[in-house]
Amino acid sequence: MNQGEEEVTELQQYEKVVKYIVKNTPFGQANLVIKDLCKIIGNINPQHPIMLQALRDHNEEHLALIKGQNTQILTSVLNSQEDFYVDQKNNETIQVDHEKLEIISRSQVELPSDPELNTLRDALEQQLNLYLSQQFNDKVCGAYVMYQGDVTDYTFYLGITAKTINLPNFFCGSWISTWEFTKTQLKGDLKVQAHYYEDGNVQLKNVNTFSEGINVDLSAASESAKQIVHTISKLENKHQAGMDNLYNSMPDIFFKAMRRPLPITGTKMNWNENVHKLVANLKQ
Amino acid sequence: MESKEKILSCLNILKRLPPTQIQKNATALASLIPDYAEELYQKIDKPLDIGQDEKGNQFIQSEFNRDGDSFRSHLTNQYYPSIDDAVYPSEALRKLELKANAVFEEYRRLYYEGGLSSCYFWDKEDGGFATAWLIRKNVEKSKGIEDGSWSSINVIDIKTDGKSKWTYKITTSVVLEMNIIQNQDVGKFNITGTLTKQKEESYEAPAGNKDLELFHIMKIGTLVEDVESYLRSQLDSVYFGKTKDIVFQTRFNEGEKHFIQQRQGLAGEFKQKYG
Repeated sequence: MNQGEEEVTELQQYEKVVKYIVKNTPFGQANLVIKDLCKIIGNINPQHPIMLQALRDHNEEHLALIKGQNTQILTSVLNSQEDFYVDQKNNETIQVDHEKLEIISRSQVELPSDPELNTLRDALEQQLNLYLSQQFNDKVCGAYVMYQGDVTDYTFYLGITAKTINLPNFFCGSWISTWEFTKTQLKGDLKVQAHYYEDGNVQLKNVNTFSEGINVDLSAASESAKQIVHTISKLENKHQAGMDNLYNSMPDIFFKAMRRPLPITGTKMNWNENVHKLVANLKQ
Repeated sequence: MESKEKILSCLNILKRLPPTQIQKNATALASLIPDYAEELYQKIDKPLDIGQDEKGNQFIQSEFNRDGDSFRSHLTNQYYPSIDDAVYPSEALRKLELKANAVFEEYRRLYYEGGLSSCYFWDKEDGGFATAWLIRKNVEKSKGIEDGSWSSINVIDIKTDGKSKWTYKITTSVVLEMNIIQNQDVGKFNITGTLTKQKEESYEAPAGNKDLELFHIMKIGTLVEDVESYLRSQLDSVYFGKTKDIVFQTRFNEGEKHFIQQRQGLAGEFKQKYG
């Protein structure tokens, strides 16, 4: 085996680890993790294809919000192409900088589309943006709507993403839901994460799935869009209310079952007395 | 020097990755630096494991009683599985270890009302010694909780100035895991994590070093009690309070965003006027 081949194998080993680590990093900290990975591996930098690919996978997994002038796009596996993302609504392909989360360039393309489905998509987008403005962190939130098929047989894909990133205070959070619907059925996946890491590392991981019957009427797109987004917000509100209940009842139940704040006597342990008594017993 | 920096980078990363996967994460990172893997593993806080001796008596397994793939029991002072040429505490320390275990068991009974505890001691090259006081407790399925565990890892470094002054430096980590029984309302819900706290105290030993062993146990025990109590209340607020705050400022409860914005608007106005 010549030296060149050995190098490839070592790189492949690194690649596997880098991919796994970056993928599992909470959103908002991937660049920092990549920096540290470079220090660990040595003679590699964040612009190396392995790192770029890992960051790209991470951004798609977390529905990263990429900003440009007066425009933004969410990266997801759905709109990901070789080295660009597809903006179905604006008939554009978009190149992005995954490190800075910025749009680099956009080019006009001709994508297959259906006027009736377009109408529903635009109405859905409007409703989703309204919903986002009412209940999500304005600083980082966004949504996408995509579809495939034609009026006789179609599937719509919706995604919602919202982040809280506060690294100076050692925390970040993420709310991601992805939905798809056909004429009669709406299905959704929700992923909620919270990370607090001052003097430690505490993480909440919460996932839920939803399924609900709906009735889409393409001839009344605006009404249908309203109904669908209303259903989504209802399911997400119900989930959050469930979390609220859990958070109200759990601390007591959980911590009581773990360690008492004080012994049942209500006072701290008397070390002096116990040490003498127990050690005396031990000698017998 | 290089090893230190690389290990620091690994620890930085582990602080960010999901603690439920700590073992897997650590193994992945260790594969990048095989020469320093052992050193990395020693610096990681993970849920404590339980082993047992030939009679089925349980003891806690940790980095502090490990030699290769074997673990020493504080009950028998033997390694399981048995190995040759293993490291044991000196005779004096082993005596102290037995006493500490008896007292710590009482502490565990008072605060934990269950669980398992183990103390391990080892000699240090600088003439001092060190000890780990460990507790593992599981929570059984009940009242909405699928399962959960508490691992308390108290590591204390003990040094003397050669005269009568003793310094105790404690580093405590508590590792908590909690899974909620899966249900329609919240789906799958897990909170896992670690908090760490350090503290250092110095004391004058009793005249003539009378009962020095008991003195050590008392001082160490009191430190363990203080720091564990502090971490328990911190965990209470971080585990539930902080993680909830983070989620509820990413997505607001129905109707709440408007209310919060109004309040922030008002606070901003006050600040402009009077701040």
